[in-house]
Amino acid sequence: MAELTLDGVTKVFTEDDGNEIVAVDEVSVDIEDGEFLVLVGPSGCGKSTTLRMVAGLETVTRGEISLAGRRINDSPPAERDIAMVFQSYALYPHMTVAQNMSFGLEESTEMGDDEISEHVADTAAMMGIEDLVDRKPADLSGGQQQRVALGRAIVRDPEAFLMDEPLSNLDAKLRATMRTELQRLQEELGVTTIYVTHDQTEAMTMGDRIAILDDGVLQQVGTPLECYHTPNNLFVAGFIGDPSMNFFEMDVDGDLLVGDRFEYPLTSAQSEAVDEARRVTLGIRPEDIEIEADGSADSPSEFDVAVDVVEPRGDENTLHLTFDRGVDEPVTFTATVSGLRQLQAGDSVVATFPPEAIHLFDADTEAALHNRSLDVPEATEQIV
Amino acid sequence: MSTETGRVGEWSLFGHSLRRVVLYGILAGMGVFYLIPIETGIMTSIINPASYTGSFPYLPPLEPLVPGTGTFSLEPWQGAIDGLGQGLVNSVILVVPATIFSGLLGSMAAFGLTTISWRGQIGIYILFVAGIFIPYQAVLVPLTQFWYNVVPLQAVFEPLAVLPFVQEYHWKLVALIITHTAYGLPICTLLFRAHYKKLSDEMVEAAQLDGASVATIYRRIILPLSIRMFAVVFIYQFTQIWNDLLFALTIVQFGDAAVVTQDLVGIGVSQSGTNFPLRMAAALLAALPTLLVYIFFGDKFAKGVAA
Repeated sequence: MAELTLDGVTKVFTEDDGNEIVAVDEVSVDIEDGEFLVLVGPSGCGKSTTLRMVAGLETVTRGEISLAGRRINDSPPAERDIAMVFQSYALYPHMTVAQNMSFGLEESTEMGDDEISEHVADTAAMMGIEDLVDRKPADLSGGQQQRVALGRAIVRDPEAFLMDEPLSNLDAKLRATMRTELQRLQEELGVTTIYVTHDQTEAMTMGDRIAILDDGVLQQVGTPLECYHTPNNLFVAGFIGDPSMNFFEMDVDGDLLVGDRFEYPLTSAQSEAVDEARRVTLGIRPEDIEIEADGSADSPSEFDVAVDVVEPRGDENTLHLTFDRGVDEPVTFTATVSGLRQLQAGDSVVATFPPEAIHLFDADTEAALHNRSLDVPEATEQIV
Repeated sequence: MSTETGRVGEWSLFGHSLRRVVLYGILAGMGVFYLIPIETGIMTSIINPASYTGSFPYLPPLEPLVPGTGTFSLEPWQGAIDGLGQGLVNSVILVVPATIFSGLLGSMAAFGLTTISWRGQIGIYILFVAGIFIPYQAVLVPLTQFWYNVVPLQAVFEPLAVLPFVQEYHWKLVALIITHTAYGLPICTLLFRAHYKKLSDEMVEAAQLDGASVATIYRRIILPLSIRMFAVVFIYQFTQIWNDLLFALTIVQFGDAAVVTQDLVGIGVSQSGTNFPLRMAAALLAALPTLLVYIFFGDKFAKGVAA
């Protein structure tokens, strides 16, 4: 158990024709002892490559990776004392569950056979797979294989766990169960963990902190709520949260934002934050938009809109709203309301964008100029 | 649940539909067609050579019960065993190690060229593949030169002849083993590589993270997962090397080290004519090992090819 530090880690792949592709660009993050860090981003953003560099399965082009204060850039995977759980589970198909779990102990420790089987039995009991130890992976269900893969990592008692989308091959129900169980296990074991996923729900619910990666560049590292409420930039704002934040491109005209379909007044704090920027992107989360079924817009932050589509989810409804009435393919934005509200496509409603819920981003640099007001301390690490 | 295979309204014969009857009829006909040459060989091989001329080769020798079929005799088989005994032993000495070495080395080479990644491996692999396309005829003379003039294998082998079971002429078989191993390597590597490409990279990476060295990964992960492929490669190489005549003629040439295919060429041929029953018995005897290999490993072969 130890802290894991990535300092300016860069990976450049050279293609056959000499083209260089920067897969991971100057990623720096400190993962504390026992911390659960979720590395999240769209596919191809470099998160798996980052994980594989930590594992030692890819070389590091530049930068430094250290575990427990020891530089591990050039150590072979076997000497890093790291265990990894793969998306495909990567179990050894010709070995029984017990053999799968003892393989690592046999290869990497001096333990005797009795000690190894004791460790394996303990871990199997902890994972609830003690009845399966004599079976081969092919005879197990996906969820059971998943447990064996986790057990194989846990039994080694490594300094750090690396998990590469370990839940993505499970069905939705099982995934939710395993999410909770993984969190509980990690807390119990207290092992430093990097967890890679493309699923922002997993990132939000599981991590102590999340690191958001896009196109090889680290966008933000922070607690799930920091990233949710005070995103560093447009990408983070759009990536975290489901349904996604609504964005509107606006021109700045003094204290007024002027868009294609509506105008929005800024508070003095907001216009101070906007400063010199001429074009900004206005962001607002769907659940922050207030919907009134009757009445008409009588303040500058209220708008008359039409309901285009209603997506009922049971607990809440997702409304697709539009300023364009009577158009075939209108531009829509989303709002979520209670599942008990009776609203139908075609209804006219009043949407309120509360001033305190507004995010403003520079339209060119996409950096956050102003985030919604909250009573949480702004402890987010700034990424330059 | 009904187990009848016939469809409603179809003709049937003893409970079988007409389609089935026709199908089995054709299958039986094809079976007879394919088996007649072997049946003829077997029948010929148990006819007394003196009574062979003029008999129907595919009929069992039933004289004096049925005239014109020849008299029964095991004399051809006795002759074949006597004539081929030494050749059979030499062939076994050659084929077993050559098959195992070429399979094992092919598997190791494929592992190194596929599962482990390193710079320049494609170039090396292309060299391996190119080996498949070198015609045997092109290397016969260099091969003779190599084993008789370049490598002093015979001189090295002479002192070993004092050991039990080792004869001086065995050096030729050792030369043949090495030659067949080398020539079998490209195709074995190709076969194993196709298999190893399908193995999960993540599994090998998991083994690396588990602390296994390259050698351990091969021994404990890759080798146990190659067993079916070994069945394919062993059957293939066994048949190839057992049936080879060209390299044997080139390297052994003549003498005590002659393998079974070489002995088969001359058996039953003399000034006074061809002894067909003896030649048939010898041919069947020489083919028997490959037949046994197919019978015992055929199901593994089928699984391995399908894997």
